Amino acid sequence: MAAAKKELQQQLETQVSALSKIQKDITKNHQVRRQYTIQHGENEMVQKELELLDDEANVFKLIGPVLVKQDLVEAKANVSKRIEYITAELKRLDVTLKNLEESQTSKREEVMKLQQRIQAGNPGKGRP
Amino acid sequence: MAAASRSGGVVQEVAKLSVEQLQAVKEQIDAELSVLQDSVGSIRTAANRFEMAASALNNLSLQKEGQQMLVPLTASLYVPGVLENVDNVLVDVGTGYFIEKSLPEGKDYCDRKINFLKANHDKLVEVASEKRSAAEQVSLVLQAKMRSSAAPSEQ
Repeated sequence: MAAAKKELQQQLETQVSALSKIQKDITKNHQVRRQYTIQHGENEMVQKELELLDDEANVFKLIGPVLVKQDLVEAKANVSKRIEYITAELKRLDVTLKNLEESQTSKREEVMKLQQRIQAGNPGKGRP
Repeated sequence: MAAASRSGGVVQEVAKLSVEQLQAVKEQIDAELSVLQDSVGSIRTAANRFEMAASALNNLSLQKEGQQMLVPLTASLYVPGVLENVDNVLVDVGTGYFIEKSLPEGKDYCDRKINFLKANHDKLVEVASEKRSAAEQVSLVLQAKMRSSAAPSEQ
């Protein structure tokens, strides 16, 4: 009886730590997503500005401390490629977040079940 | 957003909650409200920066080529310089890209950004005021609940 109870406790502990790990991953996911969302907005703003320009407009890119002149077409291509990458990354994050949330709910249920079993076991201590 | 959509039925919804739940709800709304207010503040500083840039462009348009000036290297060290080009400016459009623009174009850029920020600012202020009224309603219900739970024996 005591051994079974101990085992239950151990199971509970492992499940709880797994749950908290998932929760940590979810917060991390939120942080990364926020960063990407900000970058996405910034890139879109840049794209809008580049679209407004004439063909002969001078565009520079800041590389380290120096400004390097860039082809407008190249700059546009670079920005749209980056937006594409960020969008793909955001989608990937969405999928992982969904998976994480699903496993969070199932883990939470498992933890609750284990807690109930332990609590149900407690008053039964006196019984053989 | 969720609070905004339910703010119509907020009184009835909130009346069903317990004191602890109400306190949690109030805390959450307060946290959201402070985030919104921070955003409003940062939008305001950004708009101010663009306004300053626009007025700097205005000043630059009044200057002539070859004008003597002092260029600040640090806050206390200035070196003499000559204004060589008053027709074009470089605009930082973000993510490391700079675009050469004429003065009117640069001003136009600043005005566009200011308008964009103003629109967002107004939207945010609206959402924040909705949140604030929700927070007030919740705290009213909370106070009423606390009073009625503190003094049931006297009635």
